[in-house]
Amino acid sequence: MRKTQLGEFEEIVLLIVATLGDNAYGVSINEAIELQTGRDLSISAIHATLHRLQKKGYVKSYMGGASAERGGRRKRFFIITPLGSRVLHAIRELREQLWNQVPNGLLHSKTT
Amino acid sequence: MLVEEMQGDLLELYEKWTRRFGVTRAKFLYVLHALKFLRPYAFKSLSAKQNSQIMIKNYITFVFRRLMRNKTFSAINISGLVLGLACSLIIYLWVQDELRVDNFHSKGDQLYRVYVRRYFGDQINANYNSPALLPETLKEDFPEVENASGYAKVLRLSQQGDTYESFLLGDKAYKMRGSRAGKDFFSMFSYPLLAGTPSTALNEPNGIAISRKMAVLFFGSVENAFGSTLKFSSESMSRDVSVTAVFEDLPPSASDQFDYLANWEHWVENDDFKKYWGHFGTYTYVQLKPGTDPAQLEKKLIGYLDERLDIQKGSNVRVELGLQRFGDQYLYGNFENGRPTGGRIDYVNSMAIAAVVIMVIACVNFMNLSAAISLKRAREVGVRKVAGANRVTLIIQFMSETFILAAFAIVVSLIAAYIALPAFNLLTEKQITLPLRDLSFIGNVVLTLIVVGIVAGTYPALLLSTFRPVKALKGKVIFSSRTAGFGKSMVVFQFALSILLIIVTMVVGFQTAYIKNKDIGYNRESVIYIRLEGALIKNYKAFKREAMRLPGIAYVDRSSQTPHTMGLSGPFVNWEGKNPDHAVNFIPTSVGYDFVELFGLKVIEGRDFSDEFPADTTGFLVTESGVKEMGLDAPLGAVISVFEKKGPIIGIVNDFNAQSLHHSLTPIVMDFKESLNFGTILVRTKPGQTEEGINSLRKAYSIYNPGYAFSYSFLDDAFQRLYRSEQIISKLSSVFGSISIFISCLGLLGLAVYAAEQRTKEMGIRKVLGATTTQIFVLFSRGFVKLIFVAILIAVPLAWVASDAWLQRFAYRIDLAWWIFALGGAFALLLALVTIGSTAVRTGARNPVETLRTE
Repeated sequence: MRKTQLGEFEEIVLLIVATLGDNAYGVSINEAIELQTGRDLSISAIHATLHRLQKKGYVKSYMGGASAERGGRRKRFFIITPLGSRVLHAIRELREQLWNQVPNGLLHSKTT
Repeated sequence: MLVEEMQGDLLELYEKWTRRFGVTRAKFLYVLHALKFLRPYAFKSLSAKQNSQIMIKNYITFVFRRLMRNKTFSAINISGLVLGLACSLIIYLWVQDELRVDNFHSKGDQLYRVYVRRYFGDQINANYNSPALLPETLKEDFPEVENASGYAKVLRLSQQGDTYESFLLGDKAYKMRGSRAGKDFFSMFSYPLLAGTPSTALNEPNGIAISRKMAVLFFGSVENAFGSTLKFSSESMSRDVSVTAVFEDLPPSASDQFDYLANWEHWVENDDFKKYWGHFGTYTYVQLKPGTDPAQLEKKLIGYLDERLDIQKGSNVRVELGLQRFGDQYLYGNFENGRPTGGRIDYVNSMAIAAVVIMVIACVNFMNLSAAISLKRAREVGVRKVAGANRVTLIIQFMSETFILAAFAIVVSLIAAYIALPAFNLLTEKQITLPLRDLSFIGNVVLTLIVVGIVAGTYPALLLSTFRPVKALKGKVIFSSRTAGFGKSMVVFQFALSILLIIVTMVVGFQTAYIKNKDIGYNRESVIYIRLEGALIKNYKAFKREAMRLPGIAYVDRSSQTPHTMGLSGPFVNWEGKNPDHAVNFIPTSVGYDFVELFGLKVIEGRDFSDEFPADTTGFLVTESGVKEMGLDAPLGAVISVFEKKGPIIGIVNDFNAQSLHHSLTPIVMDFKESLNFGTILVRTKPGQTEEGINSLRKAYSIYNPGYAFSYSFLDDAFQRLYRSEQIISKLSSVFGSISIFISCLGLLGLAVYAAEQRTKEMGIRKVLGATTTQIFVLFSRGFVKLIFVAILIAVPLAWVASDAWLQRFAYRIDLAWWIFALGGAFALLLALVTIGSTAVRTGARNPVETLRTE
């Protein structure tokens, strides 16, 4: 398997895109991240990440229809690609594998 | 510019922020976030790479919008180009077709046609007629010759034209076109055999090779024909022949068409005359071994015939053999100084030049009109320049526009050519089609597109792109005098070429009419001729007696040579006191009692042959020029000899042309002979009773010549056919000449319209100051008329040279009178005036209030 190059923030954005299904665009992704992680991010940071993910081939995008909202500007919707999904799975498997290898009691409990 | 979706996201957030934090905070956040977008990915690309498609789409839109805005102008511009392209395309196809004639044989590089060059003192002449014995001995004596075949296009030199002979099977009797060929013939030439093999096709004395058409005609199918027998009637002989081969019908690109070929050896064997080396009456084709240099072989052939003809060394007579590539025979069939020089190729070359000229005229037109109309686009250029277009971008834009138009014009011209081809084929007797599946043709079309695009597009593109934006936006662009001069010189160039074409067309037309209507010394109206063959040879006298009694027939007589194109001529006449160093060529022919009457000849001195004087059977009739050439003091009664016959001259008749008018007048000597076993029967029908006459003749023919198909020709038609290529050229040049002048007029019209627009205000002011409509008309036209005069001055000398060169191929030709040139020039001038007339009148008649009120 190809080496996955996915930063922590990129991983979150990619997961959010997957969560939002067919309603993933700049503002909705921004709001979802704020809701889920409590981080307040600038919209440009979201776009920069999406742009990077698209370049890597993990998401693809298409232009939505024009509407009277947003001053008539169209939205760009993002969806996760099969490659993106595979990368997420790979990361998760690696984590689980590592979790399972930690001996009992060596890991401090969640609350400490 | 920020890309769309990011703008949208920002706006959406801005609304949210307004709701949450109020307008001031929202505005601050908006600016902050917008600034954070200052990253490369967030902006639209400025390089042209990404939207070249859009650009081209924009060009196309622009082109069509512009076309629609100036409908008249666009129509003039494009139709000129379409016409020019369609013409050139058709000529190109015709030239291709001509070049293909006889050049389709797979062994074409090894096939040669033998010609014979004769030296009589300082006279040299040459033609293709060679001894019938030649092919076989050439193959035996020279290792370079791989195959050789004799070929008899005509059975006798006195019978010119195609040979038709009768075939009979059951109740089917047809005359077919064909000849004799040697046994190597099908091994040499690429005529595919449907039945039989090349080596056995012409090997049997009583074998015959026939075409698919003829096989189907007689036997229903190729399979049935092969090996079957049919009756073959030739001259006095009638015999059964069996089909030893069936060949595919000849392609139209074979210059010589035949439906059957009979065995050559059998034919030579049965005619003692043909076994004599001095008999020059057939053609010889040879196939050289690969790598043989024909010039080397020609050198080896020097003296070959002299030896066999017993010509003494040192005598002033020499006979040499020459080799001409078989593929060249069609286009290079004329001999000069004993070598093939030109012929039809001259027509092909002139047509090719005409195609290029028409194309150049059309391109120049297109260029001129585009440049003229570009003035209206000054604002567009200005706006584009201000918006950041540089010169290169503009040049690319205008060039692509030209290319789009040129591509459109080419497609339309292909359609036009497709529509025009059937009529063109009818005119030229060809079977040309558009070779749309031929890759090299498509390649040439694309090449034409590129050339036309570059030639027609460069000048307007360069001109337009130089406009200074400030001036252009103000609408103050005026061509400098240099650019206007360029436009004018283009008009001069176009008109010079068109006038050249007009004058040459007129000369060709006049010459063709002159030939057709020239008094050739005999009356060829309502004369029919049929071949003397079969039982007619011995039944001739009875046939004549019977036919003369039938309704509709005025005279029946005979001539040993086909009267309108007598092929046999030479120094056959001897008389007392003849200068041995001065050869006088005579055309000998044997005729009957009524020939002079039938042919409408006038007896100038003495009398006609008559059955009241039995001694006339040894006498001669000589034409006036013949008597003059002989230089006899008292020609009447003087004894002359022709071949073996000796007798007195009993009459002198007027001169007549017994050959096409390409040849000069040759004296004719006639003797009386009704017993020859070959020749032509001539029949004059009574005026207005042609149909009756032919029916009578058919009846008499079936009685006196059973087993032969009745076929006849009109002498007048046959005479006209001698000038077929001239007639075709005359028609073609008049069509293409008209089109070229039409295109030139379109160009002039465009220029006039443009000039009228440019000078609207000037004319308005002139009118206000008291100029009359007429004065303005004259003023406006004067400039153009001057151009036409310059064009005439350039065209006339060129036209004189070209016409004179063409006329040289006729012994009888019209004078190149000054009025032909004047007429051509006047015609062009008139057309030019008519073309600019309406524009000039409109300019003159315009109300100055309208033209001046804009400022």
